[in-house]
Amino acid sequence: MQPKKSISELRRGVYVFAALAALTALEYWLGISQAEAIFLWVIAVLKAALVAVYFMHISRLFGAPGDHE
Amino acid sequence: MSTSSSSLTAYRQRLGINRLGLWLFFLSDAFVFGAFLFTRFYLLDGKRPHLEQSLGLVVTSVLLISSFFMNRAEAQMSKGDRKGFLTSTVITMLLGIAFLVGVVGFEWRLAPFGPADGPEGAVFYMMTGMHAFHVFSGVVFLFIILRNGIKGRYTPERHWAVEAAANYWHFVDVVWIFYYPALYLIGVV
Repeated sequence: MQPKKSISELRRGVYVFAALAALTALEYWLGISQAEAIFLWVIAVLKAALVAVYFMHISRLFGAPGDHE
Repeated sequence: MSTSSSSLTAYRQRLGINRLGLWLFFLSDAFVFGAFLFTRFYLLDGKRPHLEQSLGLVVTSVLLISSFFMNRAEAQMSKGDRKGFLTSTVITMLLGIAFLVGVVGFEWRLAPFGPADGPEGAVFYMMTGMHAFHVFSGVVFLFIILRNGIKGRYTPERHWAVEAAANYWHFVDVVWIFYYPALYLIGVV
């Protein structure tokens, strides 16, 4: 059971990284196009949320004391 | 209940307290970084420092990739893949060093202003300097878990230090997620 879970964690890491890379490319394009700052802030918040939820596992903080899952 | 299972139960209870403590530290550190971000917009408003756009994108990408490998290292430790954990940790460390070289070694030299050249210099060097210091301490933290990992001190059930180092690394990445547009993309030169 444990290995199966970790494999999905590895795969999820790839998806999250792809999303972060795409958002960074969009952010760069908007930045050099002199777009409104609000769009860049929205992208930054989205990226930060992705990292906090999927890489930092913020949900572990609110669950019952458990293990490293 | 055997000694080892009761010890594991105690470890799991401690884990919840450790996580809370770490996130409280992140919160306190976020106030420091947030204050610098506020200062940037208060002092420079609609202007931004004249910086190398391509270099900014490169160092941002390097940090992003390092976060991917950090997440991979933690997942591999949870799986019990010690070799994979060590490899991913080394890659993360190298990318962290590359980020430091890019910012401190290149961007600081290429910037057409110094730390004492008005608000532009003060804001840029304070923000990037404070962030670079955190990246450096993150690299030190990674070196410690790498050394302990080589000695076989972590198991899939017990590796709080690995989780803490990974979360610290991701926190530093989150800070840069806000600093990158604030320094490189928002405003006019």
